[in-house]
Amino acid sequence: MTEITLDKLLSPMQPTWCPGCGNFSILTALKQALVELGLSMEEVVIVFGIGCSGNTADFIKCYGLHGLHGRGMANAIGIKLANHKQKVIMIGGDGDIYGEGLNHLVAACRGNHDITTLVFNNHRYSLTTGQSSPTSAQGTVSKSTPQGLIETPLLALNIAIGNGAGFVARAYAGKLKQMVELIKAGILYEGFSLIDVQQPCPSFNKEQDYAWYQENVFDLDEAYDPSNQAQAMTDILNSQKLSLGILYQNNNRSAYHKGIPQLNEKTLIEQFPNKVDLTKAIKEFI
Amino acid sequence: MDLESLNWKISAKAGEGVMSSAKLFAKACKKQGLAVFNYYEYPSLIKGGLQSGQVHAALRGATCQRRFLDLLIVFHEKFILDHLAELNERSLVVVNANAFDASKYPELKAKVIAINLTKIARDQGANPLSSNIAALGLSACLFGMDLETMGRVVIDEFARSKEAAVKDLAVLKTAFEITQQFIEKGELQSFGKLISTGVDEQLLMTGSEAIGLGALAAGLQFYSAYPMTPSTGILHYLAARQNDYPIVVKHAEDELGAINHAIGAAFAGVRAMTGSSGGGFALMVESLSFVGVAEVPLVVVEAVRQGPATGLPTWTSQGDLNFILSAGHGEFLRVVLTPGDVEEHYKLAKLAVELAEKYQLPVLIMSDKYILESHQSMPKMILSNQNARFSMLNDGKLGETGLVDGEYLRYKSSENGISLRSIPGQTNALQLTNSYEHDEYGFATEDAVTTKEAVDKRAAKLEALRKDLPKPLYLGSENPEKILISFGSTVNVLREVLLDEAAKNIALIHLPCVCPFPTLELEELVKNKKAELFVLEGDSTGQLAALIKKETSLTNLRSILRYDGRPFYSEDILEFLVSQKLNEQYRLI
Repeated sequence: MTEITLDKLLSPMQPTWCPGCGNFSILTALKQALVELGLSMEEVVIVFGIGCSGNTADFIKCYGLHGLHGRGMANAIGIKLANHKQKVIMIGGDGDIYGEGLNHLVAACRGNHDITTLVFNNHRYSLTTGQSSPTSAQGTVSKSTPQGLIETPLLALNIAIGNGAGFVARAYAGKLKQMVELIKAGILYEGFSLIDVQQPCPSFNKEQDYAWYQENVFDLDEAYDPSNQAQAMTDILNSQKLSLGILYQNNNRSAYHKGIPQLNEKTLIEQFPNKVDLTKAIKEFI
Repeated sequence: MDLESLNWKISAKAGEGVMSSAKLFAKACKKQGLAVFNYYEYPSLIKGGLQSGQVHAALRGATCQRRFLDLLIVFHEKFILDHLAELNERSLVVVNANAFDASKYPELKAKVIAINLTKIARDQGANPLSSNIAALGLSACLFGMDLETMGRVVIDEFARSKEAAVKDLAVLKTAFEITQQFIEKGELQSFGKLISTGVDEQLLMTGSEAIGLGALAAGLQFYSAYPMTPSTGILHYLAARQNDYPIVVKHAEDELGAINHAIGAAFAGVRAMTGSSGGGFALMVESLSFVGVAEVPLVVVEAVRQGPATGLPTWTSQGDLNFILSAGHGEFLRVVLTPGDVEEHYKLAKLAVELAEKYQLPVLIMSDKYILESHQSMPKMILSNQNARFSMLNDGKLGETGLVDGEYLRYKSSENGISLRSIPGQTNALQLTNSYEHDEYGFATEDAVTTKEAVDKRAAKLEALRKDLPKPLYLGSENPEKILISFGSTVNVLREVLLDEAAKNIALIHLPCVCPFPTLELEELVKNKKAELFVLEGDSTGQLAALIKKETSLTNLRSILRYDGRPFYSEDILEFLVSQKLNEQYRLI
């Protein structure tokens, strides 16, 4: 097995993100977290959505699946069921995971599949030049909503907390060290972990720049109890600003694959049937 | 005299259990050594509506339902009207009632007798659903079948408590005896004694079960699906195998999830399959294109029902042919298998799983409601299967590969287009499986030269692939006046046609694979034959005929089409062969 190092993770491809994009620091935090966890190159799989965030696929060397817009979470679940010893990480944007793929997010939460999801949340569809997204503020003027966005933003974290996700956190691309710690905690959590990473988009979201974030994020204090589901949801609902840290963690729920008896001893891939005897299966047809 | 064939039908409201009794009757016939085909019709609802199961059993072979019935059992008198066209002077109808007034049905040609099956069940303290068991006892008596065999079939199927089993057997025996009394009184006549060969070596299963079993034999380890008639049978079958075989079956949140779960599992190295019917398959189409470009080994079953849109959920069709052939944006290689009988469903499902892995592409199995939900007897297969891995780095073994970092390329160009596939967990074999066009490692590219090379690499698989595909089947006269060409389940009906004396100058060609199309093989089969060519298909526009014209040099084709949700009937085809006339249920173009 090959220990993960920053060198090994380095892709030969040059990132194509805009100067000042939050993606650079999120990628740095992810790599740092993987190194600090002491994982091997072979045991990590990353699934990428479509969008600026999904383009991370080309900028990190790892076992990767760069799927379709919105569907990556469903791929990640299949990977985990086939080989639950893998650390499966899902990377996508707010459009991908909270919009096109919302039903798959809900399914992943309900199942508490052991997948760590990083949502690069810049409140815009940036790769398609800046239309409003499911997390854009009401009234947002964009090329697709020139008269102002009528919808209210999706309460994605409450959807996750309210529907079985075992670990829900919020990070900010401007706080590298905290991001590293949250990503590590998410990967170590055995169950579904959602880490919503707030990030500026300097090209298409002029309203929420670094200065705006400095004013609008705050760290959860030490007295905060992340095990209280109802309180976590209420706080998110009521807070005018964005709290950072572990918002909710359920230590009493086991991951989906633990509920499948045929995976108790070995992963599915370790049980490849070199020999299949149909004697038992044909009994009902005789 | 021994009876060598029978046509039996039972008809009731949905929810009254006749699907079970038809299956059990079919099973009992099979146990006596006869070939069996058991066709069901039912509406898309849970309670009420007309539901029927019909069994054709014959010593010489039975590959489809037959129109004219020896015995029809109806649980409600009014259903007689639904079956008038299937009854003639030789038919017997048993109505589940105390009395029957024949004068109300002047157009009825058959003999009718009232026997209260529900009362027989109730008198033995059994559940009203046991009227079905009474029907089986009655049938066993009328066809001179072995009551003990019938009893065993009933007990095996329901595997209920001992107390319930005793009641079931009492119902069966009582119905048998009451029928015997009718015969003794001269009010009923036995059909004869159904032959028993003493050899019970066949298996009886549906097309859905055969697909599931074939895939299992080939080492399928992952199936994900969302329920949709008539694909649901595969989901149910495989889900129930999870305790006995190393397979995970996932009922997904929707069809988008279903195919993408399967893609993820296949990427991680297990053999994976998904399935749906037309509407659900439509949702999978973008992902099918992903499978194509990313070279993911995946089997997709399309269980066709009559469309468009929600269409006729519980009725058959082959109308999705063009859709299946072209599903997915962009261009990519695919295989479309179109199995005919239940045995071929087993064989081609097994083949599909292997082909997908070997050639790293989507393999579609197109079937339909008719054969997926019909029970058909088939020879017992070899029970012990050895599975090797194909086109995988280090034969798919996890851990050390012996490679050094940077040496491995997932999409390395090769003569036959196939590159060894690594899976997560193997050392020094990192790769990116990519829905974007990609370079040999898997990184996205927009480079013109790399793009062309990647397209050509994937297309290059075609040549090697062709050798592994199932060939068209030719049966019947070597110097035929007419050749009947079909694909998928229709061959079952045409085999029945060939059994008839009137078809001695006829041949059939069955296509078990329509993509890549067997151009040379089909041309070879009809070469030098001065036969008229007819294409039989379950659609209204002649999609298969158009495909044959596009893919071969054949031009002189006529089409016999059926598109009302019902299967072809061998009687109708035979009538056409004799009189050149088709009834109004068909269209000749």
